[in-house]
Amino acid sequence: MEVTVIIGEDEKKLDVDEGKTVRNLLQMIEIPVETVVVKKNKAIIIEEEPLEDGDIIEVIRVIYGG
Amino acid sequence: MDLCDKCGNPQIIIKKKQSGQMLCQECFIKSTNEKVLKDIRRQKLIEKGDKVLVALSGGKDSVMVLDILNNLRKRRIIDLMAVTIDEGIGGYREDGVRIAALNAERIGVNHKIVSFKEYIGHTLDDIMADSVDRNACTYCGVFRRWILNQVAREEGANKIATGHNLDDETQSILMNYLEGNIQNLTRIGVKSQSNYEGFTVKIKPLREIPEKETALYAIARNLPVHLAGCPYAGDSFRAKIGTFLKQISKDHPTIMYSTLRGFDKIKPVLKEEFSKTVPMEVCQDCGEPSTGKICKACSFRRLWD
Repeated sequence: MEVTVIIGEDEKKLDVDEGKTVRNLLQMIEIPVETVVVKKNKAIIIEEEPLEDGDIIEVIRVIYGG
Repeated sequence: MDLCDKCGNPQIIIKKKQSGQMLCQECFIKSTNEKVLKDIRRQKLIEKGDKVLVALSGGKDSVMVLDILNNLRKRRIIDLMAVTIDEGIGGYREDGVRIAALNAERIGVNHKIVSFKEYIGHTLDDIMADSVDRNACTYCGVFRRWILNQVAREEGANKIATGHNLDDETQSILMNYLEGNIQNLTRIGVKSQSNYEGFTVKIKPLREIPEKETALYAIARNLPVHLAGCPYAGDSFRAKIGTFLKQISKDHPTIMYSTLRGFDKIKPVLKEEFSKTVPMEVCQDCGEPSTGKICKACSFRRLWD
């Protein structure tokens, strides 16, 4: 399945296996989960949130130097 | 299925590792607000009639402090204003100043913008272009405190509220312990306790709120917030300690709370044993309170005269 990932000005589409979560996605793109807040389809979600095809995931980097 | 512990809403936005508590957006905002206001009452940080100056950088922590203290302003318990210090960090500070102004305007509080250039005669970028032996945080910290104290007095504020969160505070404890700065340790706390009248009391209402939760609060409340890292912070000792604490917190989610609690327990003993009562003087150059004839800020300023 495919999800859209937005990080700041950067937007890209990524292929993700079925059954994966936001935490898995963050690991895949090498972003420490403790430094970000994530929105799925404009709503804030927790890292255990499952991903679905077509999701728009916004990764907001909130902690620097951590 | 995960549900909000308070209202049963299935759309939770946080699962707190330190307590297991799960909250939806509305309940997270409400409970965080209540927690901070309760901490303010319990620790007697604010009294009715205070004029509180928020040190507003535009970042998540200070924006959150302003938002929560505005509850007390609306209830006519305190008078509230904000000050933003433009250190002169090109490509970084401009956005912070703009966003700070938006936040002050949003709630209608008086907002003053002051700069290193205006108070010291140099921007932080100027200072760092010529500095070889000190990191930016040393100058920045000294000058910001110096300016804040002056602005508070000029504006008649009797409290300065800063956005220091749980991560900041545990970093300070660990840094000073590891460096053996026991004198500095005796001064760490939720409320500064200088009896000298020239110093305005500083308070840290977010001292028990983890950094991740201050960010979540700002985003959940949809507050305008400057989410960028200071270009000078990267290689500081504080940044290294911060990284270490965040790493260890993954497996020990209560470690920052226990560090803080443990420190607060031993602090009275530290103060008893190590606190020096230094006679306060007035700086010959600027008239600010000082432990010597020249205050730290003016000793730096003299380097460029």
